[in-house]
Amino acid sequence: MDLQKHITDATTEIFETMIMLDINAGDPIVEKINNFKRSVSGVIGLAGSCKGMLAIHLPDKVAMSITGSFLGMDVTEVNDDVTDAIGELANMVAGNIKMILDEKGNNVTVSIPSCVHGDEYTLDTVSDSKRVVIPFNIESGQFLVELQIKN
Amino acid sequence: MKTDLQQNIIDATQNVFDTMLMLPITSGEPLADKVYQFKDSVSGMLGFSGDIQGMLTIHCPQKVAFAITEQLLGMSVASVDEDVKDTIGEMANMILGGIKDAFLHQGTDINLAIPTVMAGRSYQVKGVDYASWTTVPFCLNDGEFLVELKLKTLK
Repeated sequence: MDLQKHITDATTEIFETMIMLDINAGDPIVEKINNFKRSVSGVIGLAGSCKGMLAIHLPDKVAMSITGSFLGMDVTEVNDDVTDAIGELANMVAGNIKMILDEKGNNVTVSIPSCVHGDEYTLDTVSDSKRVVIPFNIESGQFLVELQIKN
Repeated sequence: MKTDLQQNIIDATQNVFDTMLMLPITSGEPLADKVYQFKDSVSGMLGFSGDIQGMLTIHCPQKVAFAITEQLLGMSVASVDEDVKDTIGEMANMILGGIKDAFLHQGTDINLAIPTVMAGRSYQVKGVDYASWTTVPFCLNDGEFLVELKLKTLK
């Protein structure tokens, strides 16, 4: 499965159609990134014929700018609007990836999203799975989309 | 009077502690309020979908996470390392496995995703506003931990 292309296609489409912000995908990050500072992470599980999880990791500043653009309002702190928006963003990207995987003969369903926020936290998955992390750049900074799939 | 969901959480958690950890635990009254904020803790989270969508999370203060890991692996731990994270992720997997069996018995089929583990000095874990929360506290010698089950509510 070309997970890199799936992530890039799904994320780009959501930003073009729902968030209305220009984004550029970077090269996949090979190093393990599990430590986040002053960030927001939206996480959602994938289950069915293949299982996995999708996470979007954003510095506070980037999370606020995306929420502002999504909701059409000024956002100056990481409040419930931001954590709801980032959970929903994970949900939308995962929904798109689900459709791509289904077209390839899988039958995948998504869980409900959850959103983590903190000054400093780690986030890891604990199963042996295929993992791809793609950085994306928008005007306010960079964020990561991480997809892990266990066959 | 406990709801079915509370009972499912209690039965599944109790079963894991009885059979896998041999650690005595007692369940408390379900929490009326949502708990978001965690300090010096480890949280194992596992999503599921199928007939209903949701997420199960176990939130442990570090001391409790260490005690569970030491008991499961038979070794001493002093920091939140890979062993502790793996153990707390696996706890989420085992507890939700028990709940999955109980749901199936009630005619509801769910499929599990893969677990994610959060840890840190201070972090918040939020859900979405269209989910119902059931949170049950459990006590063991080393302190208290929470098992939280979020289900997507029908709109």
